[in-house]
Amino acid sequence: MNFQRAASRILSTSGVPIVIALVIVIIVFQIMSPVFLTSGSVRDYINNAIPILLLTVGVAIVIVGGGIDLSVGTVAGLSAGTTMWALVSGAPTWTAVAVGVATGLVFGLFNGLMITVFGINDFIVTLATLNIAGGLLIVLTEKVPLQGVSTPGFSDLVYGNFLGVPTGFWIAAIIFVLMQFLLIRTVFGRRIFAIGIAPGAANVAGVNVNRVRLGTFVISGLLAGAAGVLLASRLGAVQAFLGNGYEFVAIAGAVLGGVSLAGGRGSVWAAVAGGLMLATLQQGLRLNGVDPVYFSIVTGLCIVAGVVFDRRIQQLVLGGIRKRSKSGPTPPAPAKLQETHLLGTGKQD
Amino acid sequence: MTERPAPDADGFLLNVQGISKHYQGVTALDAVGLQVRPAEIHALLGGNGAGKSTLINILSGLTSPDSGTIMLSGNRLELRRPTDALGSGINTIHQELSLVPALTTLDNIFLGREVNARFLGLNVRLDRRHMEDRVRSLASEFGLTEEDLKLPVGEFGALKKRVVEIVKALAFDTRLLILDEPTSGLEEEERLNLFEHMRRLRGKGVSLIWVTHHLEELFGLADTATVFRDGRLVGTVEVPDTSVDDLLGMMFGIAAGEFGSTATAAVVTEAEESREEVLRLTDVNRSYILRDISLTVHKGEVLGIAGLAGAGRTELARAIMGIDKISSGTVHLKGKAVKFSDSSAAYQKGLAMLPEDRKQLGILPELSVSENISISSLDRVSWLGFVLKGRDEVSQAESYRQRLGIKTADVREKIRNLSGGNQQKAIVARCLNTNPDLLIFDEPTQGIDVSAKVEVHNLIREFVANGGAAIVIASEIGELVELSHRVIIMKKGRLVGSVDHVPHALVSGQFEAVKNRILAMSAGRTES
Repeated sequence: MNFQRAASRILSTSGVPIVIALVIVIIVFQIMSPVFLTSGSVRDYINNAIPILLLTVGVAIVIVGGGIDLSVGTVAGLSAGTTMWALVSGAPTWTAVAVGVATGLVFGLFNGLMITVFGINDFIVTLATLNIAGGLLIVLTEKVPLQGVSTPGFSDLVYGNFLGVPTGFWIAAIIFVLMQFLLIRTVFGRRIFAIGIAPGAANVAGVNVNRVRLGTFVISGLLAGAAGVLLASRLGAVQAFLGNGYEFVAIAGAVLGGVSLAGGRGSVWAAVAGGLMLATLQQGLRLNGVDPVYFSIVTGLCIVAGVVFDRRIQQLVLGGIRKRSKSGPTPPAPAKLQETHLLGTGKQD
Repeated sequence: MTERPAPDADGFLLNVQGISKHYQGVTALDAVGLQVRPAEIHALLGGNGAGKSTLINILSGLTSPDSGTIMLSGNRLELRRPTDALGSGINTIHQELSLVPALTTLDNIFLGREVNARFLGLNVRLDRRHMEDRVRSLASEFGLTEEDLKLPVGEFGALKKRVVEIVKALAFDTRLLILDEPTSGLEEEERLNLFEHMRRLRGKGVSLIWVTHHLEELFGLADTATVFRDGRLVGTVEVPDTSVDDLLGMMFGIAAGEFGSTATAAVVTEAEESREEVLRLTDVNRSYILRDISLTVHKGEVLGIAGLAGAGRTELARAIMGIDKISSGTVHLKGKAVKFSDSSAAYQKGLAMLPEDRKQLGILPELSVSENISISSLDRVSWLGFVLKGRDEVSQAESYRQRLGIKTADVREKIRNLSGGNQQKAIVARCLNTNPDLLIFDEPTQGIDVSAKVEVHNLIREFVANGGAAIVIASEIGELVELSHRVIIMKKGRLVGSVDHVPHALVSGQFEAVKNRILAMSAGRTES
């Protein structure tokens, strides 16, 4: 029984199911094509995935707070554009980086203020900024050719090397650790969960719901800005439609990692694992010679399967344990509990 | 519509034997039994956590028992899902109404069991005329008019909604109707009205299982009472042969008389003289909801606010807390004018509020007990108000668990797994932990059992005795009178009267007189 409870607790911890699934997928691909885990291959595809992973983390934080941010993809694209524009205009590397991050910050602030001050639905606001940022990038690319500069150090942001690991990895890892710490170990993070679980109750308990919500959108904007800088650094050129559609990959990754769209549930690790899962699947399919046109179909199926997997894994695993042990009390099935909760009778006297 | 159900060989309609249910190692029910005769009102009693809700969930097919048998009219039932229970004639009216507000009464009654007009063997549309014909006489018997059938349920008051649920249950061959706290949220007169409906149901041959925390309601209505305690069956008694004290003894396993109701009022400490003003409202308005409210609350004082549902009591509390904006008027806190833009500002200035609707506005269900306690005062368990100190948070919750007697194996347990009374104590702990100058208790004992109620009352008294000031909002006027030093009465957003020196009046034995005066003013009749 202790084993059961322990298993139940571990499996219900945010992010554990997706990590298990990720390991299984990696093993399967390694068996199918032994070059999968060679260092160059892994480094390349993770390097390519890092900007979207940053977006995934930003979106996940907004979602945990009960919101949604659709603008991250084009904001990242625009941030890449402004970064390049600053470089083309002769700005030093660090100024260009600051311009890129600031672009994300401005859009995050704009989203957050429209939502909290004017009370506009977050879906609508971020759908609008998705189009605004996308449009601005097109205008920018028509005015200025966003390529052809070689500034010392800028490409090192991604391709540099520190202790044998590419700098892009370091930057991403530091951001992930900071964000996980912020979400799980700080007062601000606790309040994000509170407003995601029940904004009305959080408000009565003295949480400034609007301020916290604004904070989540600012973080998402900042991470989109950082993602844009890394995109610019990796690509060395920015074209007009960069970032289009990234928001859906980011949201999909977060959901796949078990971040609940209903709010109040999830972690940064889980979102990163979910994003890595999508990237790993694409890489595995590519190595096995699958035509890239099938990628989005597989991604879609994987999201559905992943969410079902996350819901059912506790039941499946614990059901197996129970059949073998045939003793001890029955733990309640999580999905069933959720059902009764919806009916409004989830209380136990 | 309902034929008289046949009893089994022992004369029981429902015979539940040896039901056990465990949740993650916690025993919710331990081999309990329940026998209900045909056409009787059978009260199911017990404190929070006694297992009443678990048994009801089992009987309504929401959860399956680990062991035990359920026999209805001598036939063994397997209730795996809600439709199994409905199909067997067991209908449950849950505490949280399960009606869809936007749908009409008729559509609610037939929700999931719609009668369709058919064309070429296909369902083409709802046959509303057919459905109306089926329930018309039943509805009118319970006071629902033809008009009512066509109105959205959301427009009805609490009583009418319950009546709709009763009609909904009776429209489909119900032999056993389970009512989970049916009087919660009802005004005095509505309760009496509901009791009439319950008698009528019994007259029609339906058996009722009635869960209630209000023992005084039982007499003259219930036939039999079964008492659970901590998941075990304590016993079944005939209601006419018992007393409130006997039942309390069975429910809590202690000698009768310990739960004196009016006796506790004398404990209230007098705080009449040399009082320091904590809160003063002057001509506060909020559109049409609050009109020209002026009041003061002093240190060491409980100010009671009486009024009927919709009088604006909760709205006043929310306005004081800065949750809703006031349109004009001033608020002074300890002599200084304040204007709260939101609730966090109010908390920072030393206000706190225990909300009325515990499930929607009180608990954060997915967070643990300790996290629920600390949420309003995270600076006390964090480093520089930023990094949380998890160990401090848990030990803080642990001290409240012991002090307030919150029953949970572990304060890191999710709060949604606790019983209502223990959730309420945790929310009280949350408020106390902010160390407030003024604490607003909105319906502090709603939906919690008698012993938890006494404990919450004592916490309120302790809080003001230690120099706090409190505003208590309660629909139960007896409770309000016992707790308050002064009571003000609201009606339609205005203050319509006040009763001062309540403890004096109680000491001189005027409990009923004070109660009646408040009642008269809330209802708007002329003051006697």
